[in-house]
Parts: sequence; structure tokens; C-alpha cells
Amino acid sequence: MSINRKSFLKLVGASAAAAALGGCGGGGERNASAEAAAGGRSPRPVTLSGPGMSVVKGADVRAITRRAVAELGGMGLFVSRGDKVLIKPNIGWDRVPAQAATTNPDVVAELCVMCLDAGAARVIVLDNTINDPRRCYVRSGIKAAAEEVGAEVPFLEDFNFSSVNVGGELIREWPVYREALEVDRIINVPIAKHHSLSRLSLGMKNFYGLMGGRRNQLHQDVHLSIAEMTRFFAPALTVIDAVRILTANGPSGGSLNDVKQLDTVIASVDPVAADARAAGFFGIDPATISHLEIGSKMGLGTLDLNAIQTAEVEI
Amino acid sequence: MRTARRISQVVFFCLFIFLLVMTEYNGTDQISYPVKIFFDFDPLVAVAAFLAAHSLPAMMLWSLATVALTVAFGRIFCSWVCPMGTLSHVLSHNKLKTAESVRRNRYHKRQSWKYVAVAFFLIASALGLQIVGFLDPFSVLIRSFALAVNPVFNFLARALLYPLLTLDWPWLNAIVEPMFTFLRRYVLSFEQPYFYQGLFIGLLFVAIAVLNQVRRRFWCRFLCPLGALLGLLGRFSFLKLVVNKETCTSCMLCNRNCEGACEPHSTESWVRAECLPCWNCVEACPHGSISLGLGLPGRKDASVDLSKRAVLASAGTAVGALALMRIDPRKLAPSSRVSSGRDSKKHNPLLIRPPGAVDEEEFLKRCIKCGECMKVCIKNAIHPTLMEAGLEGLWTPYLKMQLGYCEFNCTLCGQVCPTGAIEKLTTEAKHVNRIGLAFFDRNRCIPFSLGRNCIVCEEVCPTPKKAIYFEEVEVTDRDGKRQVIKQPVIDPHLCIGCGICEYVCPLVDKPGVYCTSIGESRSSSNQLLLDVYGSGKI
Repeated sequence: MSINRKSFLKLVGASAAAAALGGCGGGGERNASAEAAAGGRSPRPVTLSGPGMSVVKGADVRAITRRAVAELGGMGLFVSRGDKVLIKPNIGWDRVPAQAATTNPDVVAELCVMCLDAGAARVIVLDNTINDPRRCYVRSGIKAAAEEVGAEVPFLEDFNFSSVNVGGELIREWPVYREALEVDRIINVPIAKHHSLSRLSLGMKNFYGLMGGRRNQLHQDVHLSIAEMTRFFAPALTVIDAVRILTANGPSGGSLNDVKQLDTVIASVDPVAADARAAGFFGIDPATISHLEIGSKMGLGTLDLNAIQTAEVEI
Repeated sequence: MRTARRISQVVFFCLFIFLLVMTEYNGTDQISYPVKIFFDFDPLVAVAAFLAAHSLPAMMLWSLATVALTVAFGRIFCSWVCPMGTLSHVLSHNKLKTAESVRRNRYHKRQSWKYVAVAFFLIASALGLQIVGFLDPFSVLIRSFALAVNPVFNFLARALLYPLLTLDWPWLNAIVEPMFTFLRRYVLSFEQPYFYQGLFIGLLFVAIAVLNQVRRRFWCRFLCPLGALLGLLGRFSFLKLVVNKETCTSCMLCNRNCEGACEPHSTESWVRAECLPCWNCVEACPHGSISLGLGLPGRKDASVDLSKRAVLASAGTAVGALALMRIDPRKLAPSSRVSSGRDSKKHNPLLIRPPGAVDEEEFLKRCIKCGECMKVCIKNAIHPTLMEAGLEGLWTPYLKMQLGYCEFNCTLCGQVCPTGAIEKLTTEAKHVNRIGLAFFDRNRCIPFSLGRNCIVCEEVCPTPKKAIYFEEVEVTDRDGKRQVIKQPVIDPHLCIGCGICEYVCPLVDKPGVYCTSIGESRSSSNQLLLDVYGSGKI
């Protein structure tokens, strides 16, 4: 366990440095370039004028998704004309949307529409699934919904993984899906779920799906690996699907008894704050979830929900 | 007629390839065009399965159409329909000189082998030993294509195209990418298939192919038990060959071009049961002396070379083979006397049959080793056995969880099985169908042996209430540091043996969790828990 302690100390140092560079202030004007400074990808910075997070509740899934992004200032803030955008939902399981193991297809499709309307040249939706990808893409409803609105939903190809330096203490060289390295923007669209080892599977955990190789080993230090992946992929926007959440037997689920309908979508430029807010749905204090704590110390975002201006809307 | 026959051969061969390619998951839970359709028209498999298992899937009644066709017109099926015949036909091309070619194309007395073979298979089936799959032409063809030819094709296509795809040359990409997309979408398997014994089965197939250079259509003439059955059925057909003696010059060109070595050079020498009505003789004759058409069978057709002695020998061999295979410890007969159940020790832990497979004894009577379930398995988990099910069960399907696992919502193997050895399950029935049971090897499993977290197995466990749960245990490392970790445990009431835990285990050389066949739904004796299964049945 000495390695953990060592890496932890280094993280504290790194986060102090990141804070000094002026990353994670709360509210008002916020420059999200701290994500880029810390990670491997370096996307354009986003300049916010409104709130950093929105929580929208309502029965119409597409409408709440649209509103959640609109509250932050609209998709135009994140996507420019000609951009190549990767939308990363959770398509990991051979389950139907009602079982709440995969991201709601309407949330994904609405984000695709918004990106295309904002002028994106290409919108790509993909995931490195756990169950058979063909079954997952079909049964989650995501392939059909996203393709219908004009996004590409390709299956992952072996030759498209490149081994890159992820820049972590734990994850150094690792095969990563090439599209994720090449796109202008990554929009992370997880579903909020229970997970036995990481406690919850939210936005930061969702990046497992862009990794290749022996990713099952990452479980051995699940929290640090989650934080390091988030730093590396530097999402422009996190949209958490909490239309239905999975409260037990996650992340695969399967029983409708474990599903809770919340009709809510969270959108945020801050991957840590978004997850912290979603943790509340499960009655969990976000400060007790190690990967959120590590993430905040890395400077990926804030755990303090009072420090980020949040728009709460019900429609 | 020859042109019509050629068109028919091409059409049916393409149909076979099309159905084989379609025997894969393609976005719906139900498969529409499995290659098993060919078996529905195979009377040999229908008769053998019926004799052994005393039951017959309704679809196999289509084989009566083949029977009717043969009784009326002889072995039309062999020369116009059978893709194995077409393949043998094409591979038989040679450049021999006329004299040698005529000599090698005369009727050979060992063409009677195939009748001995069919007699053996049918007698053995009647005795309960159904092993027709070793030589049934569709079993051989589909097994070879599914386990060897298709994987080789996939390997070569990928080996060629992948490097080209990674190059960043726009003009090349413009050609290769659409090509790859098309192949990927419609022809190639979703992932490169790998099969145990694929190499061996491929080599056997090459041997069968090469034998065609020894004698034309070696397979059809000497080995094919279906051809033999059709020969027996068609020996009194209305097919009639007549040679006009007035115009015949005995040039033997008819014989040179003959597919079946049926001696078409005179009305008297013609062997109806060997004739694969190909019309080559008619086309080859420079004088138009041969006519092949319909007519009442005239003389007694003594042309089937199957003596009473040969039938008796086949019967004797079948009995001997049956007895030899039944003294295998795996075949221990039920005995209620011994409480330790000596007979229940016969179960092989490695023999995890596909979901929906019937009880082992019945399974062996139905399975024809065709490999369709292996071809269709979405995770490439089903492989041919070597000796796990005895010699009798060679090449029957079993699951190897390190290579794949049984996908929770998938029911394809039962849908493509031609003989009902694997029964068709609804998704709901599949969810509770146990194919085995998982066990942790606590000497290897990381949280037990190394005191670190892992539980990938728990994460992926597919039952709605997970069959793998965990206990939180405090462990102390060598420096005395205490830590609480999660150690996985199996709930045998929920585990269905799907093997995904074994598949994802980070201990890739020898997993820390593994499945064995015990607890399988299909068996009343391969059981362990009183409260779950308790019947005391053997």
C-alpha cells in the first residue's frame, strides 16, 4: 500500500499546483482550461457566463436534456462549426433502457441533435462494451436513436486502439480508442448507477469505455484509475442521465425493482461536481467517494456543491 | 441439361454459403436463415436421429421430399443440389490423358464402401449409438466451413485489410474502406473466430479435398453415406440411360466425363445407383448415341454392391463399437445401491453443454456434430470436444469459458440446432437455465490470495440479483497495515454457470473463478445441493 500513499502525496502536490494556476474557483466566470492543463488531451477552453451546473427535472426526456444544456449557455458554448464531437454514453450492457444499466437513448439522441445544430461536422457515439457490442448497441436503443438523428454509431475496431501515455501515476501506457484522441470535444453522457467497488458509476467511471487492453486490472485501484482517466480525457461537458437510476445490483442491473425513476438530467462543465450532485440521488455523501475526492484534489473540479453556481429547474 | 445442372449447382452452393454467413447474430434475437435448412432435407440424419432418439423435429420431415425426388429420379440430389457434391465436383478437375482418365473413371468395386458405411451408421443408430455426424456430408461440410474455412477466410481478410486501413493514404483509403465496410457488414464474422481443433478439422477437410485427385468425386463415390442411402432409394427409379448400339463407336468419352463412375457406355453396364445424373455422358458423346431420361425400370437392377455378408459385418461392427464405447467410465449405468453413487461419478466437469442441451444420453443420440451452434455462438464460447464426451461424443459442442462465455440474453444455439440436441429456449427460460456452476479458487483469486480488491466477476455477473456477492474482510499486509477488502462469494441458488466471471478474470492464464458442469439443469444426477435439487435421483 506504500505506492498508494506515495501517489496520494504526489496528487496532493499536483492539485496544489493546479489550484495555484487558477483552475477551480466557483461560480460566475469560470475557465475550464484547468482540465486541459492537467490531462493528456488539450481541448479548447470553454468560457462560461452562466451557471456551471444545471439540474433539470421533467417528464419529457428530450426537453429536459435540451434545457439542461441551455441553462449552461447552450451547446454553442461547447461545439463550434466543423467540430468533430465524441459523445460517450454508457452502452456497456445487454439491457433495455427500462433496466437503467445503459444511458437513456433519448438523452443521447437529443445531445446529438444539439451538437449537429451547433454546426458539428461529425458526431460519433461509441462505447467499449462489456457484453457483446452488437447486442448492447441494439438493445440499449442507442444505435437506432443516434443514427436516426444523423450521428455515427460505429463498433470499435481493434486496429483503432493506440497505446498512448495516459500520464497517470497508475495508468501509464495504455491502449485508448483513437477517436477519443482525435475529436475536438468529448461529451460524457453516463447513467447514474450503483457499483459495488467504486460505490457509484457516474461520469468519471464512464471513461472505462474508451480504454482497451486489460482494463479489468484497473479494478485493483479503481478510484485512482477513474480519476486519472477523467484527467486524461478532459470532457468538455458531462451530462448525467438520471431519468432512471439503478440503486442496487449495479452496474449491470437487470431487475426493475432496483430502478428508481427520477426524470432528471444533470449537465455540468465540472466532472467532479456533476458526479457529486448525482451521488445525492443515492443518499451518499460525495466526500466519501474516493475517486471524487481524488479528482477534486487533482484539480478536475470541485466537491463543494455550494462552490458551483447551479440552476435547478423543473419543467 | 448439363447447363441446367450447372446452374442448379451454383445456385445451391451460393445458397449454402449465404445461409452459413447468415448463421450469425444480426441484430435480432431470432435468427431468420440458419444453415440448418440443409439438414431439414437430409434423410440420412433424419433416419439416424429417429432410430436413435425415437423422435424427430417436425422440420426434418422435409427430408421426405428428398426421398420422393430420389425414388423418382435417382441421385439428382447429389449432382444438382448437394454443396458437398458440387465442391467435390469442382475439386476433381484434372489434366489426365484420355486413356488414363478413362481407366481411372471405371466403376471401382470399393465404391461399395459407402454402402457398408450407411449400413453401419443406421444399424448403430438403431442400437442407440448415433455417430452419423462423422461422415454425413452436411455435417462434414458445415463443421469444416464453420470451424476451419470461415476462420481462415476471416484471418486472411483481416491480415490483408487491417494494415491497409491503418495507412493514411487517401486514395488507398477510398478503395479499402468501403470494401472493408462491406465485408465487415455482410460477409466477415463480427470478430475473428477461433476454434479448438479448427486446425485438425481443417486438415481432414483438405484430405477429403485432395482425395478427389485420386478419383473423381472420391467423396461421393466411396465415402458418402447419404449418397449411399440415396443410391439404395433410387435404384428402382425412373431414371433410364439408353445407348444406341448402332451409332456407338466405343470411344469411351462418355466414361471419361462421367461423375459417378456408373459405366454409361452401354445400356447393360450402366449402374443406376452410382449414376449422379450429370448429363456429361450425353453431352460428351460425339455421335449423340446416349440418352438419359425417364422410363420404366426394365431389368432387375443388381447394381448396388452391398452383399448380405457386408451387412452382417456392418452389424457386427456396430455392436462391437457400441459395446466398446459403453465400457467407458463415463457411461456407468445407473445403480441405486451405492450411496456414494459410483455411477454419478461419470460426469465430466469440463463438459459444459450449451444452454437448452438435453440430458447427456439423449444429447449424444441427437447431436450430429455439425458445428452450427459453434458457428452461431455470439461469444465464440462453444467448441468441439476432443475426448471430454468420449469417442462417441467427439466434436460435440461444449463451452470453454476462457475464450468466451454464454451471453445472458442470447438463445441462438438452440435456434440453429437441426436435431433438437439443443432445445430452443425462450429468453425467460434461458435466464434460469443452468449450464454449470462457478467456483472460486481461493488460492488464486486476488482478494483471497493477495489481499487486494478486484471483484470484476461481481461487476459483470448478469443475473438480476447477482449470483456473486462479496464479504468485506479486514486483511493485514506484511507491514501490519490493515485494510478492508471485498472477497467474492458464489450464491449457488442464483448462479447459472454462464462463465462471464471466468472470462473476465484478470488471472488470464488460469482464472481464479471457473465453471464446471455440476448443477446443470439438464441432468438429474450431476447435482450437489440437497435444498436446490434434492431428489436423490440418479
